[in-house]
Amino acid sequence: MENQNKKKIGKYRIQEIMLTLMPGIALLVLFLMFCIAVISKEYMLSLYLKIIFNEGVVLALVATGAVFIYTLGSFDISLGASTLLSATLGVMTYNTTENLALMIIVIFATGIGCSLLSSLLASVFNIPVFVTTVAMMSVLSAISAQLITSNGGALGGISIPATLLKGLDNPPFKIVVLALWFAICLFVFNFTKVGRKQKFLGGNPVCAQLTGISVNKYAIIAFVMAGIGVALGAFLTIVYTPSVTTGTAGSIGMNILVAIVFGGMPISGGPRSKIYSSLVGGFSYILLTNFLKIVIDGNAGYGISQIISAVFFLLVVYIASMNYRTKMLPR
Amino acid sequence: MKAKYANFAKKATALVLVGAVLTGSVFARPKKAKNVKIGVLVSDVSGEEALGFRAYYEKYIASAYNVTFKYTEQLTNAEEEKSAIEKFAAQGCKAIISLSSSDRVTQLQTCSDYKLYYAIASGMLEDDQYEQYKNNPYFVGQIGPSMETEFQAGLEMGRYFAAKGVKSVSIYGAFIPNPMHVYRTAGVLIGLGATYGGTNDKNAVVGQLFGDSRVNVAKISSPKVAIKSYFQGFGETTTDELNAAIQAKPDAFLSVGMATTFFTSQLNAAGIEFSDIDSFTSGNGKAMKDGKLVYLAGKYSSSIGPIFAAVINAVNGNSIRDKGNAISLSQNYLVAKNYADFDKFYTSDSGSSPIFDKSKLDSVIGSNVSYEAFKSLVENN
Repeated sequence: MENQNKKKIGKYRIQEIMLTLMPGIALLVLFLMFCIAVISKEYMLSLYLKIIFNEGVVLALVATGAVFIYTLGSFDISLGASTLLSATLGVMTYNTTENLALMIIVIFATGIGCSLLSSLLASVFNIPVFVTTVAMMSVLSAISAQLITSNGGALGGISIPATLLKGLDNPPFKIVVLALWFAICLFVFNFTKVGRKQKFLGGNPVCAQLTGISVNKYAIIAFVMAGIGVALGAFLTIVYTPSVTTGTAGSIGMNILVAIVFGGMPISGGPRSKIYSSLVGGFSYILLTNFLKIVIDGNAGYGISQIISAVFFLLVVYIASMNYRTKMLPR
Repeated sequence: MKAKYANFAKKATALVLVGAVLTGSVFARPKKAKNVKIGVLVSDVSGEEALGFRAYYEKYIASAYNVTFKYTEQLTNAEEEKSAIEKFAAQGCKAIISLSSSDRVTQLQTCSDYKLYYAIASGMLEDDQYEQYKNNPYFVGQIGPSMETEFQAGLEMGRYFAAKGVKSVSIYGAFIPNPMHVYRTAGVLIGLGATYGGTNDKNAVVGQLFGDSRVNVAKISSPKVAIKSYFQGFGETTTDELNAAIQAKPDAFLSVGMATTFFTSQLNAAGIEFSDIDSFTSGNGKAMKDGKLVYLAGKYSSSIGPIFAAVINAVNGNSIRDKGNAISLSQNYLVAKNYADFDKFYTSDSGSSPIFDKSKLDSVIGSNVSYEAFKSLVENN
């Protein structure tokens, strides 16, 4: 009997290890496939890799903060709109004051403020957080659109001087920002009680509350972390292009969800949540979409790559969920 | 459990195989002969005007010249535009033609960074932006309606309805304070015989509209034609304003852009005659033939031919410059006041025989083309 149990646990652990390694292996495979595709088309690989990094870094930054929310078993679809509003107010602040430090402060205050507002509304009205974030997405987008259009950016957007942050638009700076943010999140998530309690809350909120863990407290911490991620994403968005239009960061909200799932984290959150899933999944998703765009000639038809990405997404969710159908508790 | 492992392994293997097959298909494709690759930035991938432009480049120009056009997917913001240019650079494109306007200055700077020739095929830079970048050797130029042309288009529209004897109108200002729409609206008001803030001077009206960021109806004095309502903004966010404008029962609905995209069915249903500044597309033809569209100032599909000629010249080392500066030429609108006019413009610019056909473009492609000859071709068609 004891041997059988040991065998079961052993198999379960192997399965766990496989699922843990799978996202990393998938990222590596996608990277190799992407490189082969670029080289075979005689495109410039070094430049394409830079493009992939630029496209992935904002998504990875915002998604890393968002992991804290997803761990609680909730999700925030308004993060793209928050990024847009943070960038908009940042640009407006600089154009009014010509003070870079103040611009950065406003970006962070807006990112964290928007995120906190979502969680506070959910607490006040006692409704699921994702419901408030759906409403927030519309509100924040509308406010940003109004601010941009009323400041002369109806079609061309509003912008800071092109040279202001151009010096920061290079991979080393962005790698440092990403690495620092990831290290902070990794520490909080894996080595403090905040991460542990959030996983507990996401896995079994009733038990967690019965043990005295405050849902509101850890929800607020999760949203603050997501807000910082939003602010960093907004700042790097302005670093990449000095202008903000009504469409800026428009796809981030949904891409975060896809990235986190691609990174091997369950949508339901809980103890199987992994902080690195945002990083691995974010770059996997960007590699996949760009690979498909290269292989399927862009002129052949719009939307084909999105359809294939969606099928891939469903496959990944299906494969990942196989392990969760076991009766074993996560260890 | 074994079955589950086997199932898992099968699915994982299938994923890798799918990827390998897709990658393999890349190797299997025969290489095309070397030709010039030009990237095209587009923000509209489904509108009739955009499809007309694309068909002209891909079906007519690409077969007439040794050129491959590589199109972007729908670009919605400046980040996507910049990333698209970088991808075109990585793919070996020699030039970029822009039909997307989220951030044209960043587009130009990015092209310059990657040594790609850059041209604007629709719309123009603002005057101060053009002055700043006109010396850039990678900036080929811009061909589109100038602000003066935009003002004249609005002015003619206003005059048309005033002469027609309408007693009341509603005005749609599209995306004011976008400069193009500001100038058109100023033209419409003055054309209707109105004053704005007590003046009918073009520059004064334009200045006030920029300052107000919209039309303040209280500042309009219009003795001949009553302005019953005014609104602006994206179509999906202005349903209430459109309904109010229809309820006011004006004799005509004057739009300075996008009404044919947003409001055609509602205005047709309400039986209100309307006008717009757009392009000669089949949808607008239908609205003019069977609906209430009575006045259309528009562009035609091959109007983007001359900018291609300028770009291919630059790529071949024969840049056409205006005293060393990038080209900046204004293209006039054609005006249809009935379906017969519309049909004449629409059919004269068909896919196989466009207004800017190969023989016309050949006259300005080569090593001995002067700026004057190029200008003449653009302004006389």
